[in-house]
Amino acid sequence: MSNNSSAISVKNLWQVFGPNPDKIVGSPDAKLPRAELREKTGNTAAVQDVSFDVAPGEVFVVMGLSGSGKSTLVRCLTRLIEPTSGSVVMNGEDVLKASEARLRELRRTKFSMVFQNFGLLPHRKVIDNIAFALEVNGIKKEQRHARANEVIELVGLQGFAQAYPEQLSGGMQQRVGLARALAVDPEVMFLDEPFSALDPLIRRDMQTEVMRLHKELGKTMVFITHDLAEALKVGNRIAIMRDGAVVQMGTAEELIANPADAYVEDFTRDVPKSHVLTVRTIARPLADTETATGRTIPANTIIRDATAAVLDANGPVGVVENGNLIGYVKSRDILQVVGGGNQA
Amino acid sequence: MSVRTEPSLTSAPRRIKRSWLLASLFLAWLVLARITKGKATLELPVPENTAFTTWVGDIADSIRGNRSDGAAFKYFFNPVREFIDGFVNVIRELIAIPNGNSSIPVLGWLGVLALIGFIVYSISHIRMAIAAVSLTFACGALGLWTDSMDTLAMTLAAVILSLAIGIPVGIWAGLSDRALKAVTPILDLAQILPTLVYLAPLALFFLIGPASATIATMVYSIPIAVRLTAFGIRGVATSPVEAGTSMGTTKVQLLKKVQLPMASRTIILGINQTVMAALSFVVIAALIGAPGLGKPVVEALIIRNVGEGFVAGLAVVLIAIMLDRSTSAAIQEETSFVPPSQADRKRRKFGLTIFGALTLVSIVLSRQLAWAAYFPEQIDISKLVAQSTDAFVVWVTENLQILTSGLSKVVTVGVLNPLESLLSYSPWFLTVTMITLISLILGGVRSAFVSFVLLLAIVASGLWFDTMITFTQTIVATLLTMAVGVVVGVWVGRSTRAERALRPILDAGQTLPAFVYLIPMLGFFGPSRFTAIATGIVYSIPIVVKIVGQGIREVPVNMIEAATSAGSTKWQLITKVQLPAAKKSLLLATNQGLIFVLAVVVIGGFVGAGGLGYLVILGGSKPQLQGKGLVAGFSILLLGVMIDRIAQYTVARNSAPKH
Amino acid sequence: MTRNKKVAAKASVLAAAAALLLSACGGAGVDANASAAPTGDAAACGSYAIAMHAWVGYTASAQVVTEVAKANGCDISQVTLEEAGVTYDAMEAGSVDVVIEDWGGGRWKEWADRGALVEVGPNGNIGLIGMYVPQWMADEYPDITDSANLNKYADLFKNDESKGKGAWYEGPPGYTTIGEKLVAANKLNYTIISTGSEQALIDVFTKADADKTAALGYFYEPQNFLAKVPLARIKFPANDWTDAEKASGLTDYPESPLIKLATPKVMDANDAFTKIVKNFSWTNADQNEVAADIESGTDPAVAAQKWIDAHADVVAGWLK
Repeated sequence: MSNNSSAISVKNLWQVFGPNPDKIVGSPDAKLPRAELREKTGNTAAVQDVSFDVAPGEVFVVMGLSGSGKSTLVRCLTRLIEPTSGSVVMNGEDVLKASEARLRELRRTKFSMVFQNFGLLPHRKVIDNIAFALEVNGIKKEQRHARANEVIELVGLQGFAQAYPEQLSGGMQQRVGLARALAVDPEVMFLDEPFSALDPLIRRDMQTEVMRLHKELGKTMVFITHDLAEALKVGNRIAIMRDGAVVQMGTAEELIANPADAYVEDFTRDVPKSHVLTVRTIARPLADTETATGRTIPANTIIRDATAAVLDANGPVGVVENGNLIGYVKSRDILQVVGGGNQA
Repeated sequence: MSVRTEPSLTSAPRRIKRSWLLASLFLAWLVLARITKGKATLELPVPENTAFTTWVGDIADSIRGNRSDGAAFKYFFNPVREFIDGFVNVIRELIAIPNGNSSIPVLGWLGVLALIGFIVYSISHIRMAIAAVSLTFACGALGLWTDSMDTLAMTLAAVILSLAIGIPVGIWAGLSDRALKAVTPILDLAQILPTLVYLAPLALFFLIGPASATIATMVYSIPIAVRLTAFGIRGVATSPVEAGTSMGTTKVQLLKKVQLPMASRTIILGINQTVMAALSFVVIAALIGAPGLGKPVVEALIIRNVGEGFVAGLAVVLIAIMLDRSTSAAIQEETSFVPPSQADRKRRKFGLTIFGALTLVSIVLSRQLAWAAYFPEQIDISKLVAQSTDAFVVWVTENLQILTSGLSKVVTVGVLNPLESLLSYSPWFLTVTMITLISLILGGVRSAFVSFVLLLAIVASGLWFDTMITFTQTIVATLLTMAVGVVVGVWVGRSTRAERALRPILDAGQTLPAFVYLIPMLGFFGPSRFTAIATGIVYSIPIVVKIVGQGIREVPVNMIEAATSAGSTKWQLITKVQLPAAKKSLLLATNQGLIFVLAVVVIGGFVGAGGLGYLVILGGSKPQLQGKGLVAGFSILLLGVMIDRIAQYTVARNSAPKH
Repeated sequence: MTRNKKVAAKASVLAAAAALLLSACGGAGVDANASAAPTGDAAACGSYAIAMHAWVGYTASAQVVTEVAKANGCDISQVTLEEAGVTYDAMEAGSVDVVIEDWGGGRWKEWADRGALVEVGPNGNIGLIGMYVPQWMADEYPDITDSANLNKYADLFKNDESKGKGAWYEGPPGYTTIGEKLVAANKLNYTIISTGSEQALIDVFTKADADKTAALGYFYEPQNFLAKVPLARIKFPANDWTDAEKASGLTDYPESPLIKLATPKVMDANDAFTKIVKNFSWTNADQNEVAADIESGTDPAVAAQKWIDAHADVVAGWLK
């Protein structure tokens, strides 16, 4: 993926805080693990040499435990926290080089953010919260309210325009947060653990809601979460962070099928593999004793979804990718994954 | 885990060692003091000056001589004074003093009452408005309408000016770390500084009169406005601020649309605190010419009688309650950002219209008819109150004399005199060494260094002996305050019912000017050091009880549950769990207690306590001693800073390694 | 701020504005029909502030001057202040115009030299400060009133505050005092206790009189309290010093005529107030009479008026 076709291209991003952050990047110390770096120099590298590209319309998930640097990373992308070095290019423009005024303009029109604790303004009505970015951009009240009403409809907040945030449930408040981020019709949305503060049932609804919005509007999203299930559900690609650095990046399938290290493996152990892996990963050549049934399934079928078809087939089923047969699966292969994937 | 348990393992023996050290040091001090008693005490007879105090006096004289021609006066002090005088007078003429050629203020009493009711109604609700009007009316019934209005006007003027400076500075300190760092030491210093200290220097530059009084009040109340505003801005949750920033607000937009509205509750609390500070100061400011209720209080203290002083004090209390409750009610109205419903709003608009019309009518009446302009003389319960108070004090002094004089004797002979002979009557170098060593044990090397430097500065000022007299009284009063305050505080912290019962008393105690307490105490204990100590105790107990109570209440529930399930008795629970866990609060309460006590012990100079406070007062009235008075004020400052530093270092040292 | 409060705030501002507007153009009706002031030549007298000091005798004098001046059309306000420096500063600042009774022999010189105030002359009262004991002590120990014998009786005056010596209750800070010098120069075995207030002294003597306990303290006449609680004055060697600062301390407080001070503004105005201030003069007995009424609870203004009514001729003399 090249810079030109990316919505965002992040290159060698560092965020170091402490007594002398500028002296760390590029020095041999930069290679040290986080704890040793702090011990030696008193500086902490919250984000350590992170690079990635996000394609237009992609949902890119950054995942990690608390303290892994993911929240700092997303704040560096919008410069809520100033990175120490690196570049963040959007539409060919390096955000990190933008002047104060240009940065404000970018924030007002090009990208928007959704926060874990919603970050709503308690003294403003829902509609004025949603229209806030338009208001600070100097758009007339009539126009901005008209736009706000559109997004209110979009996120299912009809009838709540005149309410105040404290009168809404947590889920509804985050809908306001989403609507507010959508109001400026941004090119990129940053979502910082948007659903972590919600209870599980509502969280699931909201995840579905985000996916629906993504499908309808096709926004590029950078989605931060600590919850792998959420990452798998919403993300096209996932970057796993640990101690400020990205340890592995790839599709859900790649991560689970080939974890880069014990850390990632530990992370993915609880995930039911049958829900993530496709039949491609278990396709194998036909053994001498077996006879193909003549049935085929596409290679990108999730194993769980292939279960019924394979079990019905009473024999090996062909796996087809781009019109080519790449191998076969049998009910035993499927059952192995389904059974094994649930082991703790 | 293994790292965390380490300090608690080592700190137990260390603590034992520390108290053992303190005890042996104290013993050594006692022995040395006995041997060297009366030598090198640096005692300076009251009417005598040192070269330094004479020099300061000469400077004061030259400043005074320069007032009409000096450039600093012509272009700075005098214009400032004239501006403030003018500002104060506009407000006074509105409610208190004759306006222009008229013989009444712009508003007669009926108009003032109506306006107070209307304003309070508009910021809170009707019950509060009625209460505010009644309280103000009661001031008139005490025969002190004009003085009360003067006090109200002075308070209002000082508050408006304080907020005009304090809120912008507070916002600045709230937004910028560098600004906060710059103002914090000034705010801390202002908090330590006893009020009596800066009256004389201010009067030197701004002369005697309302301007000096207003500026002195502002010095006292601006820090509070700054602190709470900055605190409010900094207390705004981070996510709305981040959200605002991420949507591309400018700094001004962020402040106006996000930070200020969300900090409004704390800022209003700051206004409430500023009002209370200003009011409590307006009384003592009578010493440099503030009009109003301070006059009769000070007068009563100096000559008249307990009864009349009490009446004036009572009027101050009524105004304090009125202002405190009204502004607190406004804060309660701020709890929710959700405005009332359409119907409520309509009802409210209607109420405001009616009330507003009534107010206008009252105002017009109060300007046209004598009965509405002059507070009716028939309504006067001051004599009754004064006489009953006198009777009560006479009864107490006659019937409880064994108690009052007994208490005074026990403390004076048992604690005060021995400690005084230790601090004041041993050679100065012994006292300096011992205080430095104690400071070293309590607060560490930095604490010892700061103490040593400040003590030497006090020695250099020439008023070492008097400073130690004041220090002795401060320590004794603080010890007694803590003894009572901790017991009551534990009670309040453990029992919700006690908390609820005592809260109004604690609140009222905190709003009363210290000056008001001096008068009854003088009645009970006569002119003595104990009167000053008793006043200091009564004045500072509320704050100590509040801090201790809060500390006890904040001890985590699971700690208490664990101890209870292990079979602790109530006593064990208090001594082994709650008090140790609330240690930081105890230290903080001690620090606050010391500062409060110092402020009162100093005004004890009015009731025979001697020491630095007496010298400050003396300097104000005897021209040949004015230099000494100013130096005494400065010594109080040095003493206050030293006490505060030792306490702060001790707190820091005790809270750092744990938890 | 929520919407309804904005409305409220606006309304408050409106009301205040309306009130101010009224003050500007709606002439106060009260003055026209309800002014209680007796008619005088209003144009002939300005408005002045008179200093109020703490002792009752001062209140009596100042109140009589106030009432007479008001009756002659002057606008008088009273400003309570500590005596001496504070008051002189206030006169220099223009917030006080007259001191009707000053005890200090020339301590105002520095201010007078700068033209801040003018020494107007004696007010007729003769002040006498001294150290006093309750009368019962003088009765029981007849030689106690001689300063030479004070050390003999020092033990009688011991208390918790006096550090093993006799307790010597000194006058309040604002008053003219030379106690420290008296004790030092006469080698008296006494500890000075600064009372801080006249009320404290009165408490001390009242208690000593009632309980027949010992007390030695600062007091002065004219002071109506002496009529209620009899005190005996200790005699030190006589002297005629006037400036306390220059007193040697060997000798007693002198009898001193009490002085009136005024600002140049008063002296130059040449109105009714100028005359009253210049001519005001009365005796210790006059002052005690008014002071006694005030002490017994009569409003100072009423007490003063009573005396004025009874001494119309004296008052008329002040106005010439």
